[in-house]
This record gives sequence, C-alpha cells and structure tokens, in this order.
Amino acid sequence: MNHFAIITAFGQDRPGIVALMADSLYQLGCNIEDTCMTRLRGEFTMMLMVRLPESMAAEDLARRLIPYTTPLDLAVLCRAMPDLAATRQTALEIPTFILSVYGADHPGIVAQVARTVARHQGNITDMNTRVVGSGDRPIYVMVLEVQLPEAQQADQLRQALEELKPLLGVDLTFRLLESVTF
Amino acid sequence: MAIRPILQYPHQALKSTNAAVAPSDPAVQAVVQDMLDTLAASPGVALAAPQIGHAVQVIVVDVSRKKGERGHGLVVLLNPVILSLEGKKSVREGCLSVPDYTGNVLRYEEALVEGLTPEGRVVTVSASGFGALAFQHEVDHLNGMLFLDRIESLSTDLFRRKK
Repeated sequence: MNHFAIITAFGQDRPGIVALMADSLYQLGCNIEDTCMTRLRGEFTMMLMVRLPESMAAEDLARRLIPYTTPLDLAVLCRAMPDLAATRQTALEIPTFILSVYGADHPGIVAQVARTVARHQGNITDMNTRVVGSGDRPIYVMVLEVQLPEAQQADQLRQALEELKPLLGVDLTFRLLESVTF
Repeated sequence: MAIRPILQYPHQALKSTNAAVAPSDPAVQAVVQDMLDTLAASPGVALAAPQIGHAVQVIVVDVSRKKGERGHGLVVLLNPVILSLEGKKSVREGCLSVPDYTGNVLRYEEALVEGLTPEGRVVTVSASGFGALAFQHEVDHLNGMLFLDRIESLSTDLFRRKK
C-alpha cells in the first residue's frame, strides 16, 4: 500500500537547494510526486508531495531529512498525507475563475477578499500575491484561481466583490478561466 | 472505416516526424476517414493523424462541435502550414493525448493556414479565436510538439519575473 507525505521546506535562496532536497529524498527512497516551489523575495520555498518507502513512516521523514538539509539551513516540516488526498483525481469540469485584485497596499486586503470568496462557496485553488510599486507608494497585487460549485454563483460573487472595491480601495476583475482541450 | 483509439503520451507516435502526403494516395483517404470517424466519437473538436498512429501530415478541425462555436465547420487539411499568426494571447490548454492536465501556453488570436483539401485543391483558412487555437494545436502535433513543449508557467503567470 502506497503512503504519502507532504513536505514544506524553505531557506535562503541560493543555487543547489532543489538539487539537495531531491537528492536527499532519492537517497531516503522517497519518490517525488507533485510539487510547487517558488522564491519569495530572498527565500526559496518548497512544497513537495512524496511517496514514502514502505518501511518509513511520515513521522520519521523530517528526522531523516534534517542531516541532509542542515548544510543549507533549511527549515523542514513533514506530515503524513491521507490516502484520499494523495490520490490523483481526474480533472473535473468545475467552473474556474481568475480573480485579480490590486490597489494601494494596506492591511486587510487578503483577509477581506478571501472571506468574500469563502462566503460564496468559492474555493481558492491557487493564489499569488506581491507587493509592487515604489517603496513609498507600495501597490498590492493578488491573483487567485477560484473554483465555484456552480457557474451561476459567479454573478453573486462578482457583485459582492464589486461592493468590496470602494471599501478596500482596490480595483479588481473576476473572469472565467477559459480552458480549451484539443 | 473505423474509430481508432486516441494515443496518449508517452506513445512515441506523438513525438515523431510526419510525412507530407499526396491527395491521390488511397491510403491517405483511408487515414482521413479514420480521423473523421474518431473525431465524431471523441469529445474533442480536432485531431492530427499522429494522434491515431499515422505518421502523416493530416489534420481535421471542426470547431462547430463545441457549443457556441461555428468557425469554418469541418475542415480537413493535408500538409498544413501556418502562414502567419497575429495577436499573442495566453491560453490554458489541454490535449486528449495528455489527459488530466492543462497548462498556460502562448498562442495567437488569428491564424492563416494553408494546406490541401483531400481533393488536392490548395486552400488557405483564416481562423480566429477558438478556431485559430485549434489549428495551432493540430499543426504542432504534425511537428511532434505537444502543448507541454510550449508551457510558459505552471501557474497563474502574471508574476513572471523580468530577466
């Protein structure tokens, strides 16, 4: 029976972090499955889903990894992944939307936007945010991928987001993500 | 003729080179018919010959199979080439030969495509929107290219860093 773990790890960005992590996992007998990694300013962050060797429990993975990752001073956290969550799902035809929000930076933008999405049963499946603009006039930009159980709910969510604009002082667009399969 | 299975990567037919064809070749007409039968039985709007295992330059496109799209109706092209592309756009694209995955690729709004009809007449097709995407995708197949070869970023790609 396959069993899986999720690893999050991060450390100061430099060449060789991915190589070190991948090689460590390989030597421990783990198989890297889906991953997402990016650089947040000076920090490189990794999320990895791995298939564990039969003999290894997820709880042991962090302890076994740390000797390998210490040279690069990575913070590492591991947790067992429920089988159901680890199963590859056939991509369902769930209506997917892209929401971009941007405006002068101030605390609360993410919280209010996310709360509004949640209140309309929207599921955030991907999200990136970034502070851009000049140092004295920072602009906050966020892009979310949102899935809704029913496309009809889009209008209500769009309306609620429109109402947020003056409250938060942001601009935003909410649009259907067109995905084409040939 | 027959409905053929649509091959999925890593089948090497999808990464091979494909030969130009002569409309007078009866074997080509058989390939076209198989493609039409397979397309009719598939959930898609277009097919390229290598997707059903024929290493020849034939595509069939029928965007009217998608609700709300008309395009040029059913188009069969032998030896198609793209003459020009205009209007860059990023599209989340998927492929029947690479199931359950989509990626953001750079495509164009307008495509001018030239090829031969099954009767051997030279035609140019001016496609736009969804239809233009279909032709770009299918001509890629004839060159052994999958959308995976064109992926720009794995996620929402608004934050690509300037180099």
